[in-house]
Amino acid sequence: MTLTSFTTADRIYATGLRNQWHPVVPSRFVAPGAMRKVTALGEQWLLFRRSDGALSMLADRCPHRGAPLSLGRHLGDRVACWYHGVEVGADGTVTSVPGLPGCNLEGKKLVTSLPVREVGGAILAWFGDEEHPEPAELTLPDPLTDPAADAFLCYAEWDVPWRYAVENLLDPMHGAFLHHESHTMFAGDTTAKFRIRETDRGYFFEKTDQRGVNFDWVELCRTGVDWVDLSIPYPPSAGPGGPFGIVGMVCPVDEHRSGVFFWRYRRVEDWQRDSWRFLYKTLIEKRHWEVLEQDRVMLEAMPADADQRENLYQHDLGVVRLRRLYRAEAEAQSSA
Amino acid sequence: MTDTWPYLDVHQSRTHEPTPYEYKLAATLEEVFTHEGHELTDVVRGLNARKVHTADGAPWTEESFRAEMNRLGA
Repeated sequence: MTLTSFTTADRIYATGLRNQWHPVVPSRFVAPGAMRKVTALGEQWLLFRRSDGALSMLADRCPHRGAPLSLGRHLGDRVACWYHGVEVGADGTVTSVPGLPGCNLEGKKLVTSLPVREVGGAILAWFGDEEHPEPAELTLPDPLTDPAADAFLCYAEWDVPWRYAVENLLDPMHGAFLHHESHTMFAGDTTAKFRIRETDRGYFFEKTDQRGVNFDWVELCRTGVDWVDLSIPYPPSAGPGGPFGIVGMVCPVDEHRSGVFFWRYRRVEDWQRDSWRFLYKTLIEKRHWEVLEQDRVMLEAMPADADQRENLYQHDLGVVRLRRLYRAEAEAQSSA
Repeated sequence: MTDTWPYLDVHQSRTHEPTPYEYKLAATLEEVFTHEGHELTDVVRGLNARKVHTADGAPWTEESFRAEMNRLGA
């Protein structure tokens, strides 16, 4: 299992909260009939997709001697460990022990199998602990289910602890400085006052004196999966449809690495939708990428003890709140 | 599909490298949106005034522009 009684609050805080959904990798990373090794929440996993598209996620560990199943062979509806040929089905049940037919491992569900969903081109998995193997309800981000919104997923892998990647999103003020030379965040004041506004699914962290000019607000949403929603104005060159939004999620890969998921969405339909998509693919995606790279360069350069030696001010209330929330949950999960 | 860390791919939405025609059309479309407006009539007029025509050289109509955006943007 992903969480044992030996797991400390520090370990959970470092490698990701349990008992919730997290994004893992884009769906396209696992083709039909293929499998892929991934790391998430500090553990090794195997994504396994049948040729009909059905996906499963197994602990990457043969129940026999612990060899990685990801080095084995895809047999259509099961995987065969390379070491001794032990076969494991998509739900984690040992289907065959070729070296000793009738062995008592056969028929037993000995490999952890996580519930998975595919959403907006990403694989989400439920990382429950031993006491919570069954997934909790998952409410999907509304911009990804709204038929009037259209989204592109951008996925990237950063050498950054997962919390730094989330904190960056709960820190809108960096937009006016780090991204000042970008195509979308050049405008607006470089000073601001912020407030926290509670919602029934999380909280807004927003400027009190400016909206619709830069990266002026963000909402943290905890709906079974943690995600943020935010909105950034487009220049007139992007055509009709107003600002673009971002739904952001972070996969805690391990204590030092993250997978970041950004769905850039816009509420556009008909020819306006088509022209935005055309411009996005041809010209805008590259500009968005350059902005994202600014975040990566800054966050990857942060010292490991960055959050231990800080002098915070009013703009950091959103981050402080986030840490308190996550820390409390890590403590609760470690003593549960 | 590479599985080496890190995955950092600028272009994740494209199915092909845009052709010179597509680049020209996109750049001109941005210019038109900036200077002419966001209505369909503005766009068709702006593209034709700049003599950036359809792939077969014809001036744009609202219908042909819609169809081409649908082909290129879908």
